[in-house]
Amino acid sequence: MAKARLIDVSKCIGCRACQVACKQWNNLEATPTEQRGTYENPPQLSSNTWVRVQFRERPNEWLFRTQTCMHCTDAGCEKVCPTGAISHQGEVVFIDQEWCVGCGYCIQACPFQVPHKDETTGTARKCTFCIDRITNGEQPACAKTCPPNALQFGERDALLNTAKQRVQTLILNYGYRSAQVYGEKELGGLHTLYVLTDSPTVFGLPEEPKVATTLVGTQWLSGVVAAGVIAVLPFWLLFKRKNNQNHEENSDAGGGR
Amino acid sequence: MAWSAPIYVYLWLAGMAGGSYFAAFLVERFAGAHNRGLSRLATQMGVFPALAGVFLLIIDLGNPLRFWHLLTQFDVYSAMSMGTWILIVWVIVAVVMSILYWSEAHASESATRLMQRVGIGLGWFELALSVLLITYTGVLLATSNRALWASSILLPPLFVASAVSTGIAILVTYVLVVAQLTVTHKAEYKVPIRQLTGSTEWLIPIRTIGRLWEAEAIVIMFELIILIGLVTWLGVSPIAGASEALNELAFGKLAVPFWIGVVLLASLIPLTLDMLSPGKELERKGVFQAILASSSCVLAGALFLRAVIVVGGQL
Repeated sequence: MAKARLIDVSKCIGCRACQVACKQWNNLEATPTEQRGTYENPPQLSSNTWVRVQFRERPNEWLFRTQTCMHCTDAGCEKVCPTGAISHQGEVVFIDQEWCVGCGYCIQACPFQVPHKDETTGTARKCTFCIDRITNGEQPACAKTCPPNALQFGERDALLNTAKQRVQTLILNYGYRSAQVYGEKELGGLHTLYVLTDSPTVFGLPEEPKVATTLVGTQWLSGVVAAGVIAVLPFWLLFKRKNNQNHEENSDAGGGR
Repeated sequence: MAWSAPIYVYLWLAGMAGGSYFAAFLVERFAGAHNRGLSRLATQMGVFPALAGVFLLIIDLGNPLRFWHLLTQFDVYSAMSMGTWILIVWVIVAVVMSILYWSEAHASESATRLMQRVGIGLGWFELALSVLLITYTGVLLATSNRALWASSILLPPLFVASAVSTGIAILVTYVLVVAQLTVTHKAEYKVPIRQLTGSTEWLIPIRTIGRLWEAEAIVIMFELIILIGLVTWLGVSPIAGASEALNELAFGKLAVPFWIGVVLLASLIPLTLDMLSPGKELERKGVFQAILASSSCVLAGALFLRAVIVVGGQL
């Protein structure tokens, strides 16, 4: 049975314990922070910040969302990786640090802006789902530490049931009419699921994330067709057709002499 | 920003190599064997930007010494994997073809005939590789999750057209600059090519250069139409981030390089110069300078195009 984690934004208190636990377990350096007019820091995920809490402020309401790798079933990063350094280890989308060349293609392909290039190692890095912990029967550090249990780890199917029940509760009892589960079907099914109290875009998530390689065949075809059009117009037109016309004109002129 | 100057210069150089071979080979096939010098020139000349491109690709890697890892995988879904193979095979074929050309002068008649037959086969293969190479430069960006690059299927055609116009520009510039003092008579340019076994001169008809100049104008028009299509699509597309990408491009941080570098240098100035100076009047005073000025604009504009697109996609 596939494992997953469920992030219930309605329970999140924005304490950033998950952020700190990730740094501690994975031995990631602290990032210097600065006042940017928000409680949110650092401003984005990076090669040494694999989990962070996004803060969004609305009148009378905080919106918190723990941002981290989604461990997609159809992972764009894995599809575009030219060396095979990114692979699925069970449900975990894993970057082999010994094989990654640091080309940066996974960074361009991810719809969630998760992988980042590390200037020291020269590789792309991101959340490993604490693969060293979960393969030993433990929870990821972020889930283990979450004080209000907003971040849970477990069987994906069971978590999806929990999420759907929670969404019903949010709609019926708390008036969150747009509450929804995110990640059930997106990109073949995510292994980081969300209970959202509003639409995905409000939380900075794409409504319909796409695998970067979805149109790869069409993209190649469009370029080849363009080359074909250019081969005919102007090359065939100017060099073949005009040459033939010139030859005909020359032979007509010769015949009349 | 994950991709910066090395990547857009690399895309520009790869496009130049593939585009010049594409143009020269088609001229030889359509206009006749007396244009063989042009396609041979493109083959040899293209090796240098292609190799420079490979060098830039390698130094841009976080771990350049692991470059060989790219050669352990052949993945049709990964444009970078495909592109690496296409570029490397393109260079190998160009080098083999160049060796064949060098050998011809010293081989017996029957061996020369055989080499010419092999050369024709390799020539077609290199044409196919050139089409894939210039297409790849667009597909690399288009298979991503960046709105500017991936919202439409117009980026590969745009880069293809730009690569061909760049290829024509570098060919014409090289022929005119290197051969300007060696116009033997009014029909042909002599292009000296230094070879391993000494210096050889290839003849390139002036009329071919004139027509390439006319072809350039049509390719630039095609490129401009695709650019307008891309910009329009970004404006009306419902895809998230598309209109923001257009705003950055046309009115934001990239507005100056976009309007001056891409619209003026890559399109409007060369088109105007092309129309004012017809290729068939190559001998007329001022036309020569106009062609050189136009070609320089095309080359610089193509670099701006790739810079603006690569940087703009990551803002």
